[in-house]
Parts: sequence; C-alpha cells; structure tokens
Amino acid sequence: MLQMKNVSKVYRTDTVETHALREFSLTVEEGEFVSVTGPSGSGKTTFLNIAGLLEELTGGSYELDGRDISKLNDKERSRVRNEKIGFIFQSFNLIPELNIFDNVDVPLRYRRFDAAERKKRIVDSLEMVGLASRLQHMPAQLSGGQQQRVAIARALAGEPRFLLADEPTGNLDSNMADSVMQLLADINSTGTTIIMVTHELTLADRARRNIFVRDGRVSDSAGNLQLAAAS
Amino acid sequence: MFRYYLRLGLLSIRANPALSALMVAAIAIGIGACMTIVTIHYIMSGNPIPEKSDQLFHVRVDSWDPNEAYDEPNEPPEQLTYLDATALYAAGRAARQVISFLSSRVIEPEDEGAKPFQRETRATTHEFFTMFNVPFKYGAPWDRTADETLERVVVINDKLNQTLFGGADSSGRMLMLTGEPYRIVGVLDEWSPVPLFYDLNNGEYGDPAPVFLPFSVAVAGEHGRWGNTNCWKPIGDGGMPAFLASECVWIQMWAELHSDAERQSYLQFLDAYVSEQKTLGRFPRAMNNRLDDVQAWLTYNEVVDDDVGVLLGLALLFLVVCLLNTIGLLLAKVMRRAKDISLRRALGASKATLFGQYIVEAGMIGLAGGLLGILMTWLGLRGIENLFSAYDFVAKLVRMDWVMVLTAVLLAILSALAAALYPTWRASNVTPATQLRIQ
Amino acid sequence: MELGPIWRAILRNKGSYLLIALQIAVTMAIMVNAIAIMQERTTKMARPSGTDEDNIITLSSIPFAPDVDVRSMIDEDLAMLRSMAGVRDAFASNSFPLRGGGWSMGLATEPGAGHDGIGTAIYFSDEHAIETFGTSLIDGRNFAHDEISWNDEAVNKWPATGIITSALARELFPDEQGTVVGKTVFINENDPVKIVGILDRLQAPWDGWDHIENAMLVPQRLDNEYMRYLIRTEPGARDALIPLIEEALAKNKDRIIEDVRTMNEVRERSYTGDAAMIKMLSFIVILLTAITGLGIVGLASFSVSRRTRQIGVRRALGATRPAILRYFMIENFIVSSVGILAGGIFAVALNIFMVQAFSLTPLAWYVVPIAMIILWLVGQVAVAGPARRASAISPAIATRSI
Repeated sequence: MLQMKNVSKVYRTDTVETHALREFSLTVEEGEFVSVTGPSGSGKTTFLNIAGLLEELTGGSYELDGRDISKLNDKERSRVRNEKIGFIFQSFNLIPELNIFDNVDVPLRYRRFDAAERKKRIVDSLEMVGLASRLQHMPAQLSGGQQQRVAIARALAGEPRFLLADEPTGNLDSNMADSVMQLLADINSTGTTIIMVTHELTLADRARRNIFVRDGRVSDSAGNLQLAAAS
Repeated sequence: MFRYYLRLGLLSIRANPALSALMVAAIAIGIGACMTIVTIHYIMSGNPIPEKSDQLFHVRVDSWDPNEAYDEPNEPPEQLTYLDATALYAAGRAARQVISFLSSRVIEPEDEGAKPFQRETRATTHEFFTMFNVPFKYGAPWDRTADETLERVVVINDKLNQTLFGGADSSGRMLMLTGEPYRIVGVLDEWSPVPLFYDLNNGEYGDPAPVFLPFSVAVAGEHGRWGNTNCWKPIGDGGMPAFLASECVWIQMWAELHSDAERQSYLQFLDAYVSEQKTLGRFPRAMNNRLDDVQAWLTYNEVVDDDVGVLLGLALLFLVVCLLNTIGLLLAKVMRRAKDISLRRALGASKATLFGQYIVEAGMIGLAGGLLGILMTWLGLRGIENLFSAYDFVAKLVRMDWVMVLTAVLLAILSALAAALYPTWRASNVTPATQLRIQ
Repeated sequence: MELGPIWRAILRNKGSYLLIALQIAVTMAIMVNAIAIMQERTTKMARPSGTDEDNIITLSSIPFAPDVDVRSMIDEDLAMLRSMAGVRDAFASNSFPLRGGGWSMGLATEPGAGHDGIGTAIYFSDEHAIETFGTSLIDGRNFAHDEISWNDEAVNKWPATGIITSALARELFPDEQGTVVGKTVFINENDPVKIVGILDRLQAPWDGWDHIENAMLVPQRLDNEYMRYLIRTEPGARDALIPLIEEALAKNKDRIIEDVRTMNEVRERSYTGDAAMIKMLSFIVILLTAITGLGIVGLASFSVSRRTRQIGVRRALGATRPAILRYFMIENFIVSSVGILAGGIFAVALNIFMVQAFSLTPLAWYVVPIAMIILWLVGQVAVAGPARRASAISPAIATRSI
C-alpha cells in the first residue's frame, strides 16, 4: 500500500521558489492500476519521483507498505527502490554500452543475487517480454518498442511490488504502444501495483483508476475516467 | 570558414577551461622536458669546427704493450710518447701539424697588491692557432723560430687579458709565469669550441686553457703534466731525460690533411716511421696506426655523456605520455559532443568540414602548448644550469639557439597534430542516426 | 562485485580506455627506470670514502718562486698546521678520495713484465696520513717516522713498504685466509713492496672507477707542484679554522694557496652529476605522475558527465551512492591494471635495452611492484573526485525528458 498525506515539494533557487506539489494526498491499494494525468507542469513527474523515492519530499508524510519513507537515509531509500519499485521511463533509459543481458542485470547486481539466480531472472523476464533471443544485442540494435520491452523486463526482473511508469509509450508509435500497454495490463493481473503517469487520456483509460493532478494537487480521483474525460 | 572554425574552437576551449588548460600544460611540459634534453644533446654532439672538421686528423700510433692492447678491441693509445710526438712533428709531412699537452703556471700580475693565481696552460707548437682557426684580437701567433729557439712567448685569451691589462692591447708586454718572464705575442678573441675536441683528457666540455706557450719551452722547463700520463713499461732512472725517453704516452697530436690522397700518404708515412722504430726495438705490437677526423674522434671518445642519452630517451617517452594524455582528453571531449556533431552532420556538415573544425581546435591547443613549451625549455635549461652551478662550463651547454627554438615550435605543432588526428577522425566519423536515437 | 559488466562496458568504448591504459603503461615504464637509476645513483653516492669527511679541509699549495726550497716549506707548513688549536692532524699528499685526479699503478703478486696488475690509487704519505684521513688500521702497523723519504725524481724506485686497503688486499690475495701483512707485491714490474698494514677503507680519487676501493699509502713525500694539504680538525672546529689556516699559510709568499675546500664540498663536486641526475629524474617522475593523474581526473570527469543520465538510471534502479562510487573506482582499477601490467613488461624491456646501451645497473625486482602500487594509488586518488561527483547525481535525472 502506498499512502501520501499532505505531501509538499518545493524547489528553491536563489530567487525563485517553486511549489511543485502542495498538500498532495493519495492512497494506492495493493494490486491497483492507477493512471496519473494532468497538464504539463502540473506536478505529475514530481509525484512520480517522490513516489519512486527518486526525490525527497519537503513536507507531509509518505508511507510505503506501512513504512515512513521520509525518515530513510540514502542507502535505505536505494534499497527500497531496488527491491520494491520498478521503473519504466519514457526514453527507455537503457545503458547504451551494456548489452540487453547486462542491462536487465543492473538492478539484480545491486540486489546482490548470486550469478545463477540473476541469470534465471534475466532470462525469465526477457522471455516474458518476448526478447529472450536477443540477450547479446546492444540497445542501439533494437527498435524503440523492443527497447521499452527490455526496460520493462529490467523493471520486472527484481519482482517489484510497485511498477512506476513515466509516459511509457511516449516515444513509441501506436502499434508498439498498444503492445506495451497490453504487457502492463498482464503484469498488473499478476498482482503488481502499477502507477502510470501519462498525458494521453486513451492510455489512462486502460487503468482502473485515474488521478488528475493540477497545480501540484490531486484535483480528482475516480474509479473511472468520466471526470477526466469531461475536463 | 577558417575563422568560423577558430571561433568554434575558442568557444569550446572556453567551455572547458580547466581541461583545456590541462591539455595545453601537458603539451607544454612534454615539449619542455624533451627540448631541454634535446638542446643539451644537440650542443654536446655539435661539430666544434664545422669548416674543416674533415681535414683535421687526430694521430695515433700503437707503441703499446706487446701483451695487451691499450684498449679493446686492439685500439692504439690515445696519446703519443715524447719520442714519437717530436719525431712525427719534426718530419712535417702534413700540411700542418700540432703537438700539445696541458699544464699550468702561476701568473704573477704586475700590480704589487694583486695576488698571484694559477691558470691552465697549453704547451703547443706555433701552428695550433692557424690549424684550429683560433681568432686573434691583438697580435699574432708565435712563429717557427720561437719554437725552435725556445723563446719564452705566450698567447693569452681575452678574459685573462681583461683581468691583467683591463682589455688593452697587451702584445709586446711581459708576463711572469711561475717565476719566469714571457713576452706576450697575441691576445685571443672569444673562442671556446664545444666539445673541446683537441684534448678530450681534461673534461670534454671544459674551456680552453687561457695561456698558450711553446711546447719546447714547457718541456725544457719541466712544466707539470695536467692530463693523463699512461705508461706500460717502467721509466728508467734519471729524472726528466729518462721520462722523455720512456714509453709513457702524454702528448696529443693533430695533422691537417686536405685530401684523401694526403691522408693515405700520411698513413704510409706513419707506417714507415713505425717500421723504422721497430728496427730499433720499439713498437712491439703489430702495425696499427690511426687517423681520425674530428667527428670520428669525438664519436670514438663517446663525448656525449651516457646520462644525457638516458635522459633523452626518458624525455621522449615523457612527451609520448603527454601526447597520449592530450589524445585521451580530446577524444573524451569529442565523444561527449557526439550529439552536437551528429546534429551538425544532420544539418549538412560534411566529414571534411568537421575534420577541419576539430583539427583547428586541436591546433590551437597545440600551438599554445608549443609556445608555452619554449618557455618551459628555457626554464628547464636554467634549472639544469642551476644543478651544475659548481661547473662554469655547463653554461655553454644550456644555450638555446634559433635552431632549437624552431625545432621546439615544429615539435609542438607536430605533436599537436599527432594528438589531434585520431580524435578528429573519430569526430568526423560520427554517424548522425545512432547519436540521435540513443539519448 | 560487478567486474563482468564493467569490463564489457569498457570493451564497448575501447578507444579512450586504451589511451589511458597506454598512458599508464608508458608512465610506468619511465617511472620504473627512473627509480632504478635514482636508486643506482643513491647507492653510488652513499659509499663512504673512508675519511672523516665532516672534519677535513683540503687545499693546493703551488710553489712558484724561482728558488724556493719546497721540502722545508712543506715541513714548516705541516709543523705550523699541526700546532694550531683545533687541528687534529695534517699531512701533504698528491691526492685524496673524491678529488677526481690522482695517480694509479698496477700491483702484481709476482715480479716481471706481462703480469696483469691490479689497479690501485697511490697516496704519497707520511706517518700522519692515517690519522688525518680518519681511517683506521685493521691489521699491521703505521709507517714509522724514519721510514718516510722524499721522492727523488732521478731515481725511479718505489719505497719498500706500503699500507693497502682491505679491499685491495682481498683482490690481491683472494685465497688467503690469514693475514696479508708481511706479504710482498710488485709495483712498476719489479719493485718489491712489503705490505705492513691494512686499512679498513680508503677510496681512490675517482668516483666512477671500477677499483674505487683500491688504494695504497706509500711512505714517500712529493716536492713537486701537485702538493695537496689535508687538515683534519676537531669536530666543530673546521669552519672557524678555514680563514685562520688561509691567513697563516698566506704569510709565505713563495707559493699560492688555491682550492681551499672542505671534504664535504669535495664530495658534492665529485657527485654533482649523480645528484643532478637524481633531481632531474625525480622531477620527471613527479611531473609525469601529476600529468597522468590529472589526465585520469579529466577523462573520468568527461566520462561522468557523459553518463550522467545512466548514473541517474542506476540510482533509480536501486544503486546506492557507494555503489556508484565503487563503479568508477573499479572501472579505473581495471583500466589501470591493464596499463600497469603492460607497463611492467614495457619497463623491463626498456631496462634491458638501457642496461645494454648505457651500461646501467639492471633494476632491482622490487622496483616494479613499488611502481605498480604507486600508479594504482594515483589512479584511485585521481578518480575519487569525479566518482564522488557521480555518486551525488540525483536519481530523478532518470525521469527527466531529453
């Protein structure tokens, strides 16, 4: 379970103070597939960064699986990211100088699994996204859709409880986007909680619940997309 | 286009001031270390008398021990016995010939208050000055008669003339040397061949003795020998006459020969002389006479110090390290800008224009490094002069002439281009597609 | 912990890593050989001369007046010097250790021509020589006063007794287990010299001579123009005595006094070239290490800035800060190791070449591991800064669009 209460995030420079999130409260239950939408600059990405422990919050409280995240140090935060959270990025973020196998391997290394365990997980997760035959390929040799599948395999290899996706189909054409979305739905059906940030309403429609963010606050949250579609 | 490249290069250098400074410094230090040693090596291995080095021959005859060579492999002694030196000199078969040895005298200045001091003297024959192109400021060399009649005459150098006579024309004046009066016949102009080829026994890079006097006078006056004296056979009893009749070698001889024919005929003369001596029971070894011209003689004596060779090798490798360093940094810079490059390619820049752009940037760094390198070389030479401050002669070895400055500039430009080539080639070969697709 | 992927990532980017490895290799080759030469020179300079160097003053006395009685002048000078307060002893000789010029002869254990003599330096001495040099007899006796003669140039005969260094004794009589004192050697082919004493140590005047430890004192004094006085002072009295001695000797106007030097100065002059070589090489090594270190800093900085995004991704995927730090340290370690291993081979090859070309001493084996450790440390220290900056990159970089 993910629970944020009155979370705020302020970016400060010498002259400017930007409130990216204010009194942001949200609860995501185990196994949900939640989409987060909103206009650009509304705070979607900041929310995802904080949810994924990539950034620290300025105020409020954030509990993940009943654990107060705001009190953790860097090492503990890294560990939580590594074990409980998987990331899928808009720009795939594969490491260009590592082949597919080594890319999926990255989080497993930080998990300190032994070699046999890592290999099994890498092959299993790549099989799941249909790329088990491309272990030795470099990212540059794959299409965008294939790269995103590798990124998903990388996110899944550690069997995370939460999958955070940031515009996962933003760089893909509609055919590829469709298959990636299908993959996410399949993953969600096995019990993994998915939070997906997107600005495309048609994609948000595929989630079971949509959260609409505006000016750093949750503007609305509903079991379906009627409200969001109307706005 | 060139000016556009220059501007881009400057922008890029300004964008990474620390790294650009590091690249410039690395080239400068590499060039500096290298050119410091190259300069010293260049001076040490220079030709001391280029106008006639192929006409001056050092004379050796093998008067040594029948049981072992003077030096392996079967080298005759470097110097001559008194018997041989005077006999060969008296024969006068070369266009010019000179015999000499180093000694010393105590000079007593005319001033009552001035303290006497000791100076090296070269005891030699009258043709020394014409043979070795020694410049005179005042007066002239002594003549054959002075040699033959044991006339006490001297030639002094400019510096000693400054000390004793305030630089005035002192020819004709008298000079007291170790209690005996000599007449000054000439004063030399500035003259200091490097290496001091005509006598390598007393420091290959030392200064010429400031006083020259007739060989015959020095022998008759029993002037001490300051060079090496090597003997293979005991000297008999009887003081100086016994020593002069001995098989000890201590005199250097040079002959001036103008053609190969003259050289051949002089060698034949030496062989004939040795054959004649053999009938008198001397020269127990096989016939082994040598004539080495100046450069050959310097090479045989390995005048360039081994340490300079070691340092030269290490300094060249040092430059290699500095260049590798620069190549690595330039390459890293290029790779980081791969996106920028691929964008330019997409906008229509050809490989050639990109090559031009980056070679100009590298060239600027190289040129800056090279110019700074000349300064570093100067500093390096001053540093070495400082390390050897106990020895005056080192000042002669640490001078940069225009040849060395040009060499330094050339080396800097070549180094910079060598360093720039690979990174520039990589830059011009960046393919637009890959770089745009991935990150 | 993650050598495999780091190694494969390095292979993807061979060019720049190869350059840095090559740079380290050449640096290593220079460093090893420079250290080897410095070590050779340090050892050479550390050899004791066998004299009480801190308390000895040397000078040349050059007679020049036409009819000066050199023998009585020397006797008067020495008597005066020995009577000065603070002077321990003094004598006149032709040369002394580290002077760079002197007299050498061959000694043979049998008379006659054709025997290979063993080279030795000759020091013309009297009974004060041992005390003045500050060396010690380990066997036999000193010269007696009436044993000392003046060198007569008309008679080319060597004195009948001599005192030699222990090194020379061993070289002359390698198989002798007992004492060498009392044995006779031959100088100048046929002149017998009975060995009456053995010195612990006294170097020949030439610091580069193969037989530097071979010296013989002969009980004879020279009266020619090559006289050098040696004066040994009480500890601490030397510097104050120098002007007093010069003043006292200056009273005799029949000769000049030149080259007044302490034995420390003589040593410094003698080893100027070696000391300069050590300084130049250490300068080269320090500059080289600095350039290579800074080069690593530069390359690592480029590498970090080029990989900012992937570092963010790694952080997002659960890498801790130390893990990122470690990544760059390990990467540097791998690249350094390749360079260092290649450099080790290069260094040894270069040393073999230099030993042949310049007759240097071959390098001691342990110089190689020392240079390896230095370069490993330099690499790790150099990469630490950029690696720390890398570890400070925020994981939020990962979600930023391009």
